[in-house]
Amino acid sequence: MTPATTFVGSPVSRVDGPAKVTGAAVYAADFDIPHLAHASIVQARVPAGRIAAIDTRAAEAAPGVLAVMTHETTRRLPWHPRDPRPGVDPKAGERLHVLQDDVVRYDGQPVALVVAQSEEQARAAADLVRVDYAPTAARTRFDVAYARAPSEATAKAGRPGDTSRGDPEGAFAQAPVRVDVPFVQPREQHAAIEPHATIAAWDEDGRLTLWDKSQWVDNVRTEIAHVFGLAEDRIRVISPFVGGAFGSGLRTWPHVTLAALAAERVGRPVRLALTRRQLFTNTGFRPHTESRVRLGAFPDGRLTAILHEATGQTSTYEEYAETTLTPARQLYACPNVATRYRLLDMNVNTPSPMRGPGAATGELFLETAMDELAHALGMNPLELRRANLAKTDPDSGKPWSSNALAACWDQAAARFGWADRPRTDEARRAGRERIGSGMASAFYPAHRAKARARVTLYANGGAMIQAATSDMGPGTYTALSQVAADALGLPLEQVRVEIGDSALPPAPAHGGSITMATLGNAVANACAALRETLGADGEGDLTPALRRSGRDSAAAEGASSPGKEAQEYESAAFGAVFAEVRVDPELGTVRVARLVGGYDVGRVVNPKLARSQCIGGMVQGIGMALSEEAVFDRHCGRVMNANLSDYLVPVCADVGALEAFFVESDDRVFNPLGVKGLAEIALCGVAAAIVNAVYDATGLRMREVPVTPERIVTAQAARGR
Amino acid sequence: MSRYLRPGSIDEAVGLLSTDAALRIVAGGTDVYPSLGEAAARAAFLDIVRIPGLRGITRENEAWRIGAATTWSDVVRAPLPAFFDGLKLAGREVGAIQIQNAGTLAGNVVNASPAADGTVALMALDARVEIAGSDGRRVMPLGDFVTGVRSVALKPGEIVTALLVPDRPAKSRSSFLKLGARRYLVISIAMVSAVVDLDDAGMIAEAGIAVGACSPVARRLPALEARLVGVPPAQAADVVLASDADVLSPIDDVRARAGYRRDAAITLVRRTLAACAEAAR
Ligand SMILES: Cc1cc2nc3c(=O)[nH]c(=O)nc-3n(C[C@H](O)[C@H](O)[C@H](O)COP(=O)(O)OP(=O)(O)OC[C@H]3O[C@@H](n4cnc5c(N)ncnc54)[C@H](O)[C@@H]3O)c2cc1C
Repeated sequence: MTPATTFVGSPVSRVDGPAKVTGAAVYAADFDIPHLAHASIVQARVPAGRIAAIDTRAAEAAPGVLAVMTHETTRRLPWHPRDPRPGVDPKAGERLHVLQDDVVRYDGQPVALVVAQSEEQARAAADLVRVDYAPTAARTRFDVAYARAPSEATAKAGRPGDTSRGDPEGAFAQAPVRVDVPFVQPREQHAAIEPHATIAAWDEDGRLTLWDKSQWVDNVRTEIAHVFGLAEDRIRVISPFVGGAFGSGLRTWPHVTLAALAAERVGRPVRLALTRRQLFTNTGFRPHTESRVRLGAFPDGRLTAILHEATGQTSTYEEYAETTLTPARQLYACPNVATRYRLLDMNVNTPSPMRGPGAATGELFLETAMDELAHALGMNPLELRRANLAKTDPDSGKPWSSNALAACWDQAAARFGWADRPRTDEARRAGRERIGSGMASAFYPAHRAKARARVTLYANGGAMIQAATSDMGPGTYTALSQVAADALGLPLEQVRVEIGDSALPPAPAHGGSITMATLGNAVANACAALRETLGADGEGDLTPALRRSGRDSAAAEGASSPGKEAQEYESAAFGAVFAEVRVDPELGTVRVARLVGGYDVGRVVNPKLARSQCIGGMVQGIGMALSEEAVFDRHCGRVMNANLSDYLVPVCADVGALEAFFVESDDRVFNPLGVKGLAEIALCGVAAAIVNAVYDATGLRMREVPVTPERIVTAQAARGR
Repeated sequence: MSRYLRPGSIDEAVGLLSTDAALRIVAGGTDVYPSLGEAAARAAFLDIVRIPGLRGITRENEAWRIGAATTWSDVVRAPLPAFFDGLKLAGREVGAIQIQNAGTLAGNVVNASPAADGTVALMALDARVEIAGSDGRRVMPLGDFVTGVRSVALKPGEIVTALLVPDRPAKSRSSFLKLGARRYLVISIAMVSAVVDLDDAGMIAEAGIAVGACSPVARRLPALEARLVGVPPAQAADVVLASDADVLSPIDDVRARAGYRRDAAITLVRRTLAACAEAAR
């Protein structure tokens, strides 16, 4: 029987929901491996220097301790170079070779590892390791005077130091209306609720199994193969569930190596779970970035010059760089554009992609500057955007595979009630609070990568989809089930999806919003291949064809990779975000009363999960605008709030009414499924819309996030003087 | 390794404490446990929450007795006179529900954090601390009990058995306001609790105002309290002067700078008084 509904496009609930709410879903640290031992990291307490001495005697004598590992007692690993480097790794510099030498590169770097019978024993003993340091000068202050251009390798990877088209300086100098806007975005942390953890187990034949929190199991396997000098087929990586990651699970971090080293040393499986404090310095973060945007426009709002400079921080050992300046080159039509990107090496751990890497930051800078320009022009900020719609990609001149940004602006403005927003001082007053409205555009480039998927159909009508991808929360399990159920003509509950295992068909990183456009098509192709193998055509339930063939089951694989559309077109997800804030001028508190976001993400596979993705991004955007900052003390070179009580992610009480919707869109040019990607776009533009709304409410140009109560009050006082 | 003792009486608890100086008293554990960090596994604990009679709120003579094992949720749910509203509001802001279910008022006080929300509300109410030791029991004012950051006037071997809150006239109202860099589940930048007793003419007969997170120990504002006597509650907020903050000594930290704290505290004092007036209408 053919199921009556088509699942793609329908708001089905998460297929993994029951397992998650009942606790049946098994996360990396939850795997119950016999004879498990536990490891705990000892972190460096200076930002730069050498280890003068390590005294491990007290730790070794502590109850339950099996081993204490330091750079003096750990074997040297080959750390083979990766060629090419995976897309998620910095393009220059070298990975942290953990426990291989006496050099301290940042505060928080692992300098020893304690392995014990229980986690508590390991932690207690780690506290007993005494390390003496010979400190050296450290760069702990963000000072653009020391910034440098990115390396050639980084430039080639879409993060060039200097770009120019037209005559930006000349056009800016002659522009009738100009703004020049500096802005600071601080270091932010992914702060997912599931901490990173790895269990490592070696078998008698020297094969390694890793249960890891990862967005890319294939890359964990390849990375550890290179670090240890092992053949890839000796390693298996398992990561069926990920409790949020936002990019922190893209790279393979040093603690994975540590877990494998510890398991080798004690001859038992070892679990290494990072504490909340350790997550700040043993995974990545969104780098502190400082920016200057100069915009020039004609009185009718048309942009004549965009000049965007940004400097981001990286570590002293790796060159992490972002696509911060891509929005300046691509979001609006403008003939004269220059970008200048610089990097500052600091004694910190290496930053890493965090939701909307580059874009979320770049659009915060660009879209707050656009708001300043609108006011300088005396123009409605929405009209200013409309006047600069990029009908083709302004950077390459290529057509968009689809672009419904104008519809996002129009429909989101209508739903928000932008035309009727309070516009007089009188109307903006609500008791002691001031009401403000702001808006911003959102943009995130869409890409695809190479992937394979396998489908197995059983005569009882069940089907299994397998691929080495991951689901850190967006709903990959569910969306792939929907695609397969439609393609096989089966009810949704008869499709099972198995992911997060490097033994499955290869998949790219579950990041960059590429999963659905990549894996979705691989699954559809696998199902089509199976249909062909079974000699069935068209649509409908495929099991009768299988039964006719007399087999119990049949399997097929399908692949998907970018085609020539990737050369001929530019593809991106778009959006428009509108914010209403309430500011209490006396205390400086800002409350986000309402956010409305309209998005062009191509075909929406599951409206329920898509909305959930978008409102999640809005909440994270509230954090970016109002409260999130990893406070880095330049005197001691340390994050001072490496915990969730002072690194402030929003709580429900910080969140007002959220509305997310999707404009008509179906991008079959970009890929057969018509999806563009929905993850990063949800964060883009949110913080800018909020900051712009704060201006509308108070007349204060806040050029540094988070906009804390104290910063508002300080800005008011400065204006009063 | 870790030891965990659960005495069945106050005498037993005091006895154990006097023989073992390493024992740490634990009630809800919501301050003790996080503060130990990685060393938790080596600590020795004396859990007092099972001692009979230590949990609950009773009225004794002219005072209300809040047993040392009484949790914030217990207080929030208890039917109490209106002057306890400020304490209840503080209770609702201590962490979140899970913390309020485990955390005790006594623990909040003894932990002696400058940002202890409960201490501020209790201080406005002139609470006293009841202490048991091997020499018997003693009672001292809360303002004397908390002596500094993480320091209280407990001698070795002593435990807090109750907090005593003097009864107030029927026409007494109180409130509490807390400011943090997010709306909830946050360590305070500043917080204020106020209580006002009204006379028969509806004027303020007595006021108690305490400010937290703006000095090592929460502070009362005696000069303001004196000026408020005889003032109609609706005008109380207007009586507040910026100089009322002079008794405070806020610091710069990761949450806010001193100057902002001082200004915010004064704003919160005004609003808390306005809330008392609102409640009195
Ligand atoms: C996530 C989280 C959020 C929090 N948010 C807030 C907040 O918003 N506001 C706030 O004020 N606090 C907050 N706290 C701190 C804490 O929850 C409160 O201070 C709580 O009231 C402490 O009570 P407790 O019973 O858990 O104390 P415990 O941790 O058991 O003890 C605290 C201290 O008091 C001592 N002690 C306890 N009882 C006695 C006794 N009877 N006699 C002698 N000594 C005793 C202990 O030895 C210890 O030194 C938070 C804590 C957490 C973990």
